[in-house]
Amino acid sequence: MLVLFCVVAAQMSAQITAVHGSVVDEYGPIMGAAVCEIDGTGRIIESTTTDINGNFSMKISNPKDKIRFSYVGCKTVIMLINKEEYEIALKSENVINEVVVKAQRRLNSGGLAIPEREISYSTQTISTKEFEGLGMNTIDEALQGRIAGLDIVSVSGNLGAGTTMRLRGASTVSSLTSSNPLIVVNGNTWNVDMSNFNVNSANDEQFAQLLNINPEDISSITVLKDAAATAIYGSQGANGVIELTTKRGSLGKPRVSYSLRLTGTYQPEGYKMLSGDDYTMLLKESYFNPEQSHASADIRELNYDPTFSEYEQYNNNTDWRSAVTQVGLRQNHFLSVTGGGEKATFRISGGFDNETGSVIQQALNRFSTRVALDYYVSDRIKIATNFSLTYTKNKRNYDDLLSIANRKMPNMSIYEQDKNGNDTGTYYEMLQSASSVFNDNQKSLVNPVASAYLAKNDQRTYDISPEFQVDYKLLGLDDNHWRLDYQGRVYMNIFNDYVDKFYPQALTTVAWNNAVNTSYAGSSKSVAFNTKHTLTLIPHFNNKDHSLMMMGRVELTSGSSNGSGTEGRNLPSGGITIPDAGGLVSGLSTSYSQWHSMYYTFSTHYAYKGRYMADFSLRADGTTKFGPGKRWGYFPALSFRWNIIDEPFMEPARKWLSMLSLRPSWGRVGNQPGTDYLYASKYASANKYINMSSMLPSNIRLTDLRWETVSTYDVGMDLGFFNDKLRLTLEWYRSTTEDMLMPNIRIPSNTGYLTLATGNVGSMRNNGWEFNIDTNRLLEKGKFYADFNASFGNNRNEILSMDKNVLKSLNTDFTYGNAEVLQRVQIGNPFGAIYGFRYKGVYEYGYNTFKKMTADEREAFLNAGHTAPVAMAADHTVIYDDEGNPVRMMYAYSNTGAAKNYEFKGGDAIYEDINNDGNINALDIVYLGSSLPKLTGGFGFTLNYDGWKLNTQFTYRVGNKILNMARLDAESMSTNNNQSQAVNYRWRKEGDVTNIPRAMYGSTTNYNTLISDRFVEDGSFLRLNYLQLSYALKSQLVKHLGLGGLRFYISANNLFILTKYTGVDPEVGYGSYGASIDSGQTPRARSYTLGITLDF
Amino acid sequence: MMIMKLKKYFYKISWLMIAAPLLSSCSGFLEVEPLNEIVLEKFWNEESDVENVVAGCYSSLQSQACVERMMAWGEFRSDNIVGGTNVANNQDLANIFKENINASNGFTSWDQMYYVINTCNTVLLYAPTVAQKDPNYTESELNATRAEVSALRDLCYFYLIRTFRDVPYTNTPYLDNTQSGAVAATPFDAVLDSLIQDLESVQQYAVKTYPTNEPYYQRGRITQDVIHAMLCDMYLWKQDYQSAARYADLVIDAKLLEYKNKIAKSSVSSNLQDQLLNGYPLITDQSGSSYGNAFSTIFGDGNSSESIFELMYMNDDNMLANGAVSYYYGNATTFPGIVKPAEFISADMTLDVPQVYTSKYDTRYYENMESSGSEYGIAKYASRFAQVTTSGTTPKGTHGSFYPSAYCHANWIIYRLTDIMLMKAEALVEMIDENDSTATGIAQRDTLLHQAYNIVNTVNLRSNGSTNKTDIDYNLYSSKTQMANLVLQERQRELMFEGKRWYDLVRRSRRDGNTNYLVSRVMQKGSENASVLQSKLTRMEAIYWPYNKEEIQVNPYLVQNPAFGSGDTNSYEGTNK
Repeated sequence: MLVLFCVVAAQMSAQITAVHGSVVDEYGPIMGAAVCEIDGTGRIIESTTTDINGNFSMKISNPKDKIRFSYVGCKTVIMLINKEEYEIALKSENVINEVVVKAQRRLNSGGLAIPEREISYSTQTISTKEFEGLGMNTIDEALQGRIAGLDIVSVSGNLGAGTTMRLRGASTVSSLTSSNPLIVVNGNTWNVDMSNFNVNSANDEQFAQLLNINPEDISSITVLKDAAATAIYGSQGANGVIELTTKRGSLGKPRVSYSLRLTGTYQPEGYKMLSGDDYTMLLKESYFNPEQSHASADIRELNYDPTFSEYEQYNNNTDWRSAVTQVGLRQNHFLSVTGGGEKATFRISGGFDNETGSVIQQALNRFSTRVALDYYVSDRIKIATNFSLTYTKNKRNYDDLLSIANRKMPNMSIYEQDKNGNDTGTYYEMLQSASSVFNDNQKSLVNPVASAYLAKNDQRTYDISPEFQVDYKLLGLDDNHWRLDYQGRVYMNIFNDYVDKFYPQALTTVAWNNAVNTSYAGSSKSVAFNTKHTLTLIPHFNNKDHSLMMMGRVELTSGSSNGSGTEGRNLPSGGITIPDAGGLVSGLSTSYSQWHSMYYTFSTHYAYKGRYMADFSLRADGTTKFGPGKRWGYFPALSFRWNIIDEPFMEPARKWLSMLSLRPSWGRVGNQPGTDYLYASKYASANKYINMSSMLPSNIRLTDLRWETVSTYDVGMDLGFFNDKLRLTLEWYRSTTEDMLMPNIRIPSNTGYLTLATGNVGSMRNNGWEFNIDTNRLLEKGKFYADFNASFGNNRNEILSMDKNVLKSLNTDFTYGNAEVLQRVQIGNPFGAIYGFRYKGVYEYGYNTFKKMTADEREAFLNAGHTAPVAMAADHTVIYDDEGNPVRMMYAYSNTGAAKNYEFKGGDAIYEDINNDGNINALDIVYLGSSLPKLTGGFGFTLNYDGWKLNTQFTYRVGNKILNMARLDAESMSTNNNQSQAVNYRWRKEGDVTNIPRAMYGSTTNYNTLISDRFVEDGSFLRLNYLQLSYALKSQLVKHLGLGGLRFYISANNLFILTKYTGVDPEVGYGSYGASIDSGQTPRARSYTLGITLDF
Repeated sequence: MMIMKLKKYFYKISWLMIAAPLLSSCSGFLEVEPLNEIVLEKFWNEESDVENVVAGCYSSLQSQACVERMMAWGEFRSDNIVGGTNVANNQDLANIFKENINASNGFTSWDQMYYVINTCNTVLLYAPTVAQKDPNYTESELNATRAEVSALRDLCYFYLIRTFRDVPYTNTPYLDNTQSGAVAATPFDAVLDSLIQDLESVQQYAVKTYPTNEPYYQRGRITQDVIHAMLCDMYLWKQDYQSAARYADLVIDAKLLEYKNKIAKSSVSSNLQDQLLNGYPLITDQSGSSYGNAFSTIFGDGNSSESIFELMYMNDDNMLANGAVSYYYGNATTFPGIVKPAEFISADMTLDVPQVYTSKYDTRYYENMESSGSEYGIAKYASRFAQVTTSGTTPKGTHGSFYPSAYCHANWIIYRLTDIMLMKAEALVEMIDENDSTATGIAQRDTLLHQAYNIVNTVNLRSNGSTNKTDIDYNLYSSKTQMANLVLQERQRELMFEGKRWYDLVRRSRRDGNTNYLVSRVMQKGSENASVLQSKLTRMEAIYWPYNKEEIQVNPYLVQNPAFGSGDTNSYEGTNK
């Protein structure tokens, strides 16, 4: 049988071995027309081109194949190989009858490519065209205010610092599971797991990884909001998903594009701080007041006594803040080459960024490159690769310079000064022999300028992500056949991180044996491997009313990370800064972890007449984080869409209404803890005893730890007017988190352990709505057109239930201390409530002044609105004791351990005595407001006129309260820290009418900085996020220059902010159960950018 | 045609084959194990696993958290100790000295003690399974392990009940979060009874002598002597004085035997009796013409012949240091430490007739304390060496250098011979029946008084640096009450700064049924709020510690000690004052 077949095949091939002929069109012979032998799958077997006369000849490999003739601008002809000579007349494509192509924008979000009009879940897409050329460092900056319900808060203004993102509020109280949304790049989850090795403060790093994608490489961003949309990401998508798609090559001759951005950044000014003169005066007062003694205020560093050996070092007016800030400069170069032919397309890009910070001695260098190749093996098979590499070198400050600069005593000099008061070349550090009053909070403050120049804190990261993908169309090639498409993908992510630190002796004045010249070198490596296999089935129905798509996917991920660190101290010199340079190696640490996960996804989309849509998806997640029996989490989602506009009865409205749809959906996603091996009893090695090595159990195993699940109901509505010139989206949602995971659950310690690593503790709910408007050439007149966008969002959360022990441990007892923030988490109440006293100003007079007055004088005194620390009844009359003396106002008067029994004096803060008992205590604490904004969002508009384009974006937040701890610290006058100029208005003598209490050194000498509404401020703001003006040269002009395109732009980021908030930046994080607290982190820098983009 | 079709399917099938292994290996794929730790399933297989965890029990018992609790619970509230250098920086500690202890005081946390207990319970659960798997691990070794970890566990419980009175008690380990730790406290007596019962049952299996090539095991690990010492102590608390005395004798006899064996081995063949002090193998304090030998040997060198059980801190940079001694008692950088001797003790020798000590020549005064400027600090444990010269009218003490900060390797002694001797004396005194006025009764009383006196006098004599070593005048202590007080005073002098004094006072109060003696002693050290202190300590419950607030919060079955209010605050409200 087989032999027979072979013979037949051989006979057939023997018939035609070569073909020849000519190709012409209506104007004559064509040179360069392609003639190809193609096989059944469209793969090219042999090929040639026609000569100047349009003639060709070509060998034939297999006469069963077909022969194809093609030429640019002509219709391709495919024929069977049944003769040796071909005379072909190609027809121009232009003569083809007009075909109406109904282009449907399809959205492929991790699963099925669904036409935009049929999407039934909540999503929002932005093309990066909209903010091309903005001085954005990262995509998250650009997203701010553009996505309804997405709230982005920058962690700090430090170089390389990231942001925290909250999509529709926090779904969990846990810090164990990050509340940041999942980032998906080209379908690959961005899961460099650094949880086991914390090189330094993880917060700064977490989302800084987004830096590793050059914004110029991104073509579109899709935000998946509701559970129906994110369910195909299962446990990974519990906090929402942000999908990024990078640009790929496109057909055509190679196009080269170069862009350059130059950005200047600077720090917004914070509180005005005291000068050296004001500071010394304040400090002398604050030392004098508690003791009423000049002796305690006799401090050499404050006395301006020329006989003091360090006199010159302490007689200055140093502005530490301006000493550590500067205008930062950023340059971003970006080059991309894209192009391709019929068989392959490519895009290669490279970017180089160099940045100096707005705080001195910060520098960031970043090199990123990305190569995308698509090779079409045949009509059926496509191979694609993507390779990206980012190298970042971040030279950071060792200390938080701005924070130190704000606290450092301003009468001290930066450089050591000689006896004539001239600066020498040495930085000055406070000596250990300085007055002991500075022990607690000046000696420990390093000279920030010295720290910037002498200490080292470098970080280098490499991020490499190769990807390989095969697409195979197993059945039909187009919509007229059953289609079964396979996609296989292998993805790797390699992330290496190196940290080198050195802290020289010059910055410390402690003795040699107390760890000087300290050094640290650490590295961590993490490798993630992911493979994904997807089968998509699209049946073809003869009845065009039905359409169905189905997708099944299996995905495996494995990864490992390991890290090591070495600490050294007492290095012999500051010259060599590695830990093993001859000092003591004081700390060695290593870590290793690995994880595996496995996902099955099924997703289906059904549409009837393009009018009624239903989607169902189910994802099964298997993880190593849970024990046997709990490993698999199942996450279903169901969503519907009804395009009302397509109903026949809507016919009359279609002139102006282009879209009206309703989208109800339900879905469930989950969350897993960030730590591995929680379900196992583990034994770790411990300290030796005598000569016996030892092992100890290290945990209580969590056998019944469960997935945290989030179920979301969402109702969405889409509206489009005037052929989608104006589009509105309205969403309402309610999501319920159950089995909420929380780390470090306190348990009775008679079990031997204080805490369980994590536990399922309760449930909470997020309610909210979102509203989004955007337009497409809404106003158009001649060359002018304008667009605008706006989004509003609101989210409320509440605790539905919680383990009562956990609740107790979340709620702290008030111990009557200054600056002590009370935290209350109550079932049924939203998060972030702020509690405290009501502040009523400052007592103008002391108690004795009032006591000595006659009855008439007292009445006159009170009628004139003067204040003294005497207890008042509810009817504003003074309370008298048995002896007829006025009762003195007391703070925390009781016989309990927490008692302060403090007598208020003139110049002390007045707190409202809510219950009029003459005693300010816990019973006088009231609700002062909520940290949760009533409304968040943004709006912006673009104006276009003939190549000119003005693009603006505002973000805002309305109705939230912030506890301004930064101001509390700057006005407390109870430490040696420098204070804001506001304290110049402090109470100094009897009768002073002011809002600022007297200066009192010490944390228990006074109670002037209790949490009160004095420090609770309205955090509403409106920020001009960016403003950009760009101009694209006219193409004729550009062609003269031999270019493909030329654009210039200038933009300003964070130009201004309208707010009543007195702190530097009201954009303070919120959403956790505690109050939103401004602790004075580095605010976001302001910047101006100048850019140019050249296309060749 | 068919070939083509086959080829087509071949492609499809081969793709599926690539995917298939990925699908099939799903169960194993999700099993990963930590690499820097061992999971339970791979542990408890051989003898060394058991040995390692037993060693772990010791090393967690010698952690600073445990040792500082032995100090704070056992002595800081007593008359011996007041706040030292910068005590205001440690509010929890400062509040102890003001008797202003509330449920949020950090010293009320007991988790580290329970960690040792739980680890011991874990060993007791798994050691038998190891015995089945590992033939090298014999039945007698298993029993020795049982005795060793039971003793360690019982020691921790003993510390807890003496501190908190009633505590949660269990002999099952907590391994799994399905087990609830929220249990009611077991009453003092019930816990004490089961501790005694437990120790009685394991004592016969305990190691008598460890191999001589491990010189630190004999005092650094549990031996039969240690269990006997613990039983003696426990019976004393149980007020079963016959048994207490019996176990004290077992320990003393064992020490004597040990001494005799040692002498027999050494070439010195002098009269044994001469080297013993009144028949007890006590290390002599005299060394040539000066004193301090006993101090330097027992507390400086450690691992002395007089020691019964001490936590060993090896003289090795890479091993755990005794951070508690360094922080609380002081070091070369900070001396006195954050605590120091009470004024009336350190000033005792300035009086014409010392009140705490029986004579100006009591070398312990000079050894245990060292002056630094105008104040005295605790030198016991903090210094490796003391020398007392008694030439001239007033003795003088000098100390060798103190341990550097963060490098104190002084062992922490839990039981030593004089402790046991004085416990025996206490038991003997309590055996006296003063109401028995028969002749035999009186004779019996006299015998017991004399026996007790002899012990006290022996201990006192060892540290007498005068040339004419005068005995304590028996006639001053010829009643039961007087003798009982003498024993307690000698315990105070001998075991000062060893974490014993408060427990002595508590035991005394339990016996008396009131706190009068305790209050009178504690009042000696003076306090800024003496009247509050006095009224607070009048309540019997107040001599124990409150449960930590967080424990009350998470364990609804735990009822706060009524002397400390509801547990939320130290308020008087809700207490029956």
